[in-house]
Amino acid sequence: MRSLLRQSLLLLGLACLPAAGQALYFHDKVSWQSRIAEADMIEVDLARSWGVEAIWIDARPAVDFDRDHVPGAILLNEDRWNELLPQFLQEQWSPEKKIVVYCSSESCNLAGDVARRLRDEAKLPNQIRVLKGGWEGWLKTRK
Amino acid sequence: MKFVWRTLGLLVGAVFVFAGLTKIVDFQPFRFLDPMELARDIDNYKILPWTLSVWLALYLPWLEILCGLALIFRRLYSGAIALVLGLMIVFIGASLAAKARGIDITCGCFGHVSDQLSFAWHMVLDFAILGALVGLWFCGRRPQSEPAETPL
Repeated sequence: MRSLLRQSLLLLGLACLPAAGQALYFHDKVSWQSRIAEADMIEVDLARSWGVEAIWIDARPAVDFDRDHVPGAILLNEDRWNELLPQFLQEQWSPEKKIVVYCSSESCNLAGDVARRLRDEAKLPNQIRVLKGGWEGWLKTRK
Repeated sequence: MKFVWRTLGLLVGAVFVFAGLTKIVDFQPFRFLDPMELARDIDNYKILPWTLSVWLALYLPWLEILCGLALIFRRLYSGAIALVLGLMIVFIGASLAAKARGIDITCGCFGHVSDQLSFAWHMVLDFAILGALVGLWFCGRRPQSEPAETPL
């Protein structure tokens, strides 16, 4: 039993070494606070300063978008991804523009997921950022 | 019979090495995977806080690889079986709990390789591995009288 415990602890300890190495290797990509890496996020003020150079994408459900949204924002959420993405690519997308995606708050995952799909599935070359604080953050700075 | 258990140990070991590797590297084209991808998969289970999901995403693949290698080379053998048995029970429990709560998840068990794996097949695979490990635990280990796998 002691040997079993010793072996288990040794394996558990050994696994820490490469894990620490990987953490160091990816230190600029790993975010310990949120699902989205810090480098992929943008503050509301900076995003606002982009002005017409940015396309704003609202990743919240349509009902929230209809209630209110960032002026000029486009609805593109995962619920209607297959329908809204081609529409967006045909009508609003431009390779030169930056893209800012937001959802309801800091803790929601929708914006991060939409941003990732735009990068990985739609293969958009644009600079894509997730709005820090989401819609709630936008409202705070609007006041 | 010894041959059967030895082969089963090799197979299960290879599965864990493969499972660990697919979480760390993408083979086509070869690149190291961002651990945030696995952390998001773990976070999707909605069981652990985000920080712990990141920690697990960095740690778990290496533990799987080390335990897999231990099973293949029969070093630290009993410890490795105990750990992977524990891991499998936790994986199965977490998957069933997520399903019961109606959470649609990508298990992330074999990185992108398992993206298309249905929940049912995921469970079949998990229980098959669990069965093999239980078999190895009771029958595949050397008796106490034989020399230890690794002198520690």
